[in-house]
Amino acid sequence: MSDDEQMYDEAMMEDEETALEIAALQSEDLLPQPKKEFINHKAALRALVDELSQKSLSWIQRCDITSTEPIVVEKTENDLDRELKFYQQGLEAVIQAQTEVKKVGVPFSRPDDYFAEMVKSDAHMARIRQKLLDQQKGIQNSEEAKKQRELRKYGKKIEQEKLKEREDQKKASLDKIATIKKRLRSGDLGEVDDFEIDVASDDDGSSAKTKGARGKKGKDGKPMANKKRQLKNDKFGFGGKKRGLRKNTAESTSDMSGFSQKRNKSTGFSAVHKKGKTKRPGKSKRQRTN
Amino acid sequence: MATLYKTAKSEYQDVDDVLEEREKRSDIKQRVLMVASRGVTFRQRHLMNDLEILLPHSKKESKVEAKQDIDILNELAEIQNCNNVFYFEARKHQDLYLWIARAPSGPSVKFHVQNIHTMDELKMTGNCLRGSRPVLSFDSNFDSEPHLQLLKEIFTQTFGVPKGARKSKPFFDHVFTFSVVDGRIWFRNFQIVEKDAQTGGDMAKNAKPTLVEIGPRFVLNTIRIFEGSFGGPTLYENPRYISPNVVRAAVRSQKATKYASRVADTQDREARARANPMPTDPLRDVFE
Repeated sequence: MSDDEQMYDEAMMEDEETALEIAALQSEDLLPQPKKEFINHKAALRALVDELSQKSLSWIQRCDITSTEPIVVEKTENDLDRELKFYQQGLEAVIQAQTEVKKVGVPFSRPDDYFAEMVKSDAHMARIRQKLLDQQKGIQNSEEAKKQRELRKYGKKIEQEKLKEREDQKKASLDKIATIKKRLRSGDLGEVDDFEIDVASDDDGSSAKTKGARGKKGKDGKPMANKKRQLKNDKFGFGGKKRGLRKNTAESTSDMSGFSQKRNKSTGFSAVHKKGKTKRPGKSKRQRTN
Repeated sequence: MATLYKTAKSEYQDVDDVLEEREKRSDIKQRVLMVASRGVTFRQRHLMNDLEILLPHSKKESKVEAKQDIDILNELAEIQNCNNVFYFEARKHQDLYLWIARAPSGPSVKFHVQNIHTMDELKMTGNCLRGSRPVLSFDSNFDSEPHLQLLKEIFTQTFGVPKGARKSKPFFDHVFTFSVVDGRIWFRNFQIVEKDAQTGGDMAKNAKPTLVEIGPRFVLNTIRIFEGSFGGPTLYENPRYISPNVVRAAVRSQKATKYASRVADTQDREARARANPMPTDPLRDVFE
């Protein structure tokens, strides 16, 4: 049946193509125009109508209903409009037929328990139902996929916002601590605000230990590096006075200021520290003990 | 004849009266003969089958080769005791023409059938009782012209199932709609659903029934109406009917004009080039 359907579709497309061609032709006047003179024996036709019409028969034998309003479709190609008008015509006829049939006394609607052979087989109706279900499922799946995509985008946004928020909070709390410490150092020891953390007591307790370390703070408030580090930063770091610092010139090689005979010869603190021949043990021994 | 005499005697009726009654009943009795010519395509054949299922007062015949001698069909109808004939004539394995004729002497109409959709298509979701009588719904355009009135009468007698038909069922299940749009007759078949659309249960008292399409659907383009059956003097011809062969020829000639115009253009170009030759360049031989 599926290749039947394919053939239907192909033939349908052919019909559409020919319809398009016809439309194109009509616009170009290549098709013959409708004839002006054509045979139309109205009298004979009317006579035939009278002859054929079964006036003697009651309505229920014929069951025909004529619509009250003529169908007017502006554009035949407008499928929706056209089919809607056909539907309305049919509906109107059905409603009128119901009243007429009731007048005669014949049953109109099929009762629920009346089972008889139908025009389309049950297997065929099952296929139709399956196709409708598949269509619905397809729509549902695509909607769900859309929703998931939207959620993912939304979720990502939320995640980023949360991270940012946390960072901001962290920064804010650190800043708060910094301002409090500053105030303490500048001498506002008496002020203990109810809403602020009582950092004053904590400060006294730990100050002795960490004063040395905390004392060394540069202008920024960052801990100041030790001298060795500072020299290395100056020599190898970025920015600052670097020109002419790293030259291996005749001058620098003959510069003997770094060497001092006195210092090299002095035994300074060694007498105080070394008690006799306390030499450092060799590598293997050190490794063994460690 | 013996039975006639007996019935007349028993009911104290005149024999002539009984004969008249019999004739009247045969007036009511409409039977349709469905015949196809050789060379129908599958879709046209399915359409014929669908109509045969929908009209329980119809009788299907095997294919006939009647393109030359179309009066055979009158004899066939007489043999089968049918007073209407639907003859599906296929031409060139492409076009379908439908003849609806009243067998012995009555008028006949020839239509060109287009846009055929059969009941098998999965988009037609409706279903109805096999053999139930249809409600026939006609557009009021049918009352405007005498030829349309005749067509309405013919459709009522052929598509309408007579009340006592043998295979007919009692209830009204579906409606045939005939509408006139763009000078053509559009046919639709709808199932009457009197259940609630959402719940599937019974409808409210004043709710309108819904219609679901069962199929088939087709468009009839009237060509000619003849006085006799399958022939005779023409009573009506449709001025807007264009034969499909003419359409195909016009399409082909349009394509031909494309080529012809291209050839003409090239010839024009050559002629123009010859008529206006290029002026000779005085500096042509400078660099030699």
